[in-house]
Amino acid sequence: MQLTQLLKLVLINITQNKVRTFLTTLGVIVGTATIFLVVAIGKGGEARVNEQYSKLNVGTIIVMGSHRGRIVDPLTKKDAELFLKSENIAQAFPILRGSGNITFNNYSTTGNFIAIQPEFQRSNNLTAQQGRSLDKEDEQKRNKAAVVGAELANTLTDGYPSEIVGQTISINNRRLTVVGIYNRVGDSGSGMSYDDAVFVPYSVGEKFLLGTRANPVINVQATSMDTVQAAISDITNILDETHRAGGADQFRILDAGSRLAAAQESARTMSLLLLAVAVVVLIVSGIGIMNVMFVTVKERTREIGTLKAIGAKKREILGQFLIEAVIISLTGGIIGVAAGFLALPVLSCFELTALPSLSGVLLGLIFSVVTGVFFGFYPAWKAADLSPLEALRYE
Amino acid sequence: MIYSSKYVIDANNIVKIYQNGSEELKVLDNVSIKVSKGDFMAILGPSGSGKSTLMNILGCLDLPTSGQYYLDGLDVLKASENELAEVRNKKIGFIFQKFNLLPRLTAMQNVMLPLLYRGVDEEEAGELAKEKLTILGLGARLHHRPNELSGGQQQRVAIARAIVGSPQLLLADEPTGNLDSKSSREVMEIFKELNQQGNTILIITHDAEVAGQVKKIVHIRDGKVYENN
Repeated sequence: MQLTQLLKLVLINITQNKVRTFLTTLGVIVGTATIFLVVAIGKGGEARVNEQYSKLNVGTIIVMGSHRGRIVDPLTKKDAELFLKSENIAQAFPILRGSGNITFNNYSTTGNFIAIQPEFQRSNNLTAQQGRSLDKEDEQKRNKAAVVGAELANTLTDGYPSEIVGQTISINNRRLTVVGIYNRVGDSGSGMSYDDAVFVPYSVGEKFLLGTRANPVINVQATSMDTVQAAISDITNILDETHRAGGADQFRILDAGSRLAAAQESARTMSLLLLAVAVVVLIVSGIGIMNVMFVTVKERTREIGTLKAIGAKKREILGQFLIEAVIISLTGGIIGVAAGFLALPVLSCFELTALPSLSGVLLGLIFSVVTGVFFGFYPAWKAADLSPLEALRYE
Repeated sequence: MIYSSKYVIDANNIVKIYQNGSEELKVLDNVSIKVSKGDFMAILGPSGSGKSTLMNILGCLDLPTSGQYYLDGLDVLKASENELAEVRNKKIGFIFQKFNLLPRLTAMQNVMLPLLYRGVDEEEAGELAKEKLTILGLGARLHHRPNELSGGQQQRVAIARAIVGSPQLLLADEPTGNLDSKSSREVMEIFKELNQQGNTILIITHDAEVAGQVKKIVHIRDGKVYENN
């Protein structure tokens, strides 16, 4: 029999049993939609990580006091100067971080403030989108100036960030003048979002906002990506020298490159995990297909006998039932991908970034067809293997 | 292994033994039967006589325990599974007691099926199917499904399906067994006409009345055949 004829025969059987076909297809629809969405979520996650870290300088190393226990012997501005003696280190800035109530007009929020030396801005891609950034004069004269991160500016002004420039804000009831707003920079690599923080001159942070609670973090730039490890070991040696009481062990040294790699790795692990779930769904739906195909073969045993009596060969019966399984699963696959597309807006409600991709569509369709072939084969083989006589006698 | 023969069926010393536990059941005991081209023959026997087993063997649906069987000159017992499927497709037209039409196909699609399995293209198969159904008085029922047809009509569809591929042998297994007397008479008239046109017909039945309308009767009892003309 020609393939087109076999296909027609199968289509007649499928379309005349719509409920059965639909119920069989349902599992495949869910499985394929899951695969498609999982791939989309995975791609979305990776894209988000890459975007978050896109502005991150991989040569950045952060040295900070350990969170374990109290720091007896905090880092100082002097440590930063000592780090600069290493030939692997291009820059080292102490920064101070704190948090508290940030108030503008009558609006108040809890937020972070970061005290920096002006050079810090360049090496962290912080540029002013409105107003100006911090400069040497602010640092030397301890000007009570502040530059606000893009996101925080939005929050404080309820969407009209430009209103804040030139105005007074207060941090823990200490008043400062906003001189500018930074451009968006994304994740800083130090676990703190710069877009959500207020920046003040280092000297202001040290004397005016924090006082004795000042406990700096040192932001180090290695001379290049390749010298990051050497720079870390130099830093360790220097800290061992200068902080004899606890040595370098009491500090945490983080490098941005490893953080990026770790984030990418965890995004990948996540998508793999989800993919495994989707594959399990498809296997279950495959078992569903197999069950229905077995019932179908049983129901049509006499028909199979008749077909054999009028000359159907084994491979034609096998082909017929296999094509039936594949069409059912492929239909389910196509509907599943469509359902996946429809579900994308739902995902965004849960703040999941999902990026639909061709590879997700193909993976879903391939898996659905493979499921059909794999789980349809055994019932189809059973049908083909029936002796014509036994099949004809079957009641 | 084909030799030219005047017989459509040339079966010799056919033995069929069913093994039932340790018990051997000899269903066919050295049956020899010859059907010539153009014959119109009935194998008549009560149930349990072995006639169904004989029909299955003659129809290439089952193999004998021993013996020789040539169908239209072909040594059936040496044929492979695929070759047997081809034999059933080209040389034999089956007509069953329960019609055995495919319920989801229309009358015309049912009749086209043997031709499609032979590789004939759809258009030609459709033409031939339409022609046969029209001859059998079903020209207005081409696109009806079996459940929309009466028993007599269904059996006529089945006959159309059996003859559409011009086989050497029409093999009918109790063809009137599920029909009322009027439809039975109609079906037997169709057989007579087909035989007059040169078709070789073998009917297996337990009904003496049916057997009475053919040219030649072979009796079967307890696995043995007895001929009387």
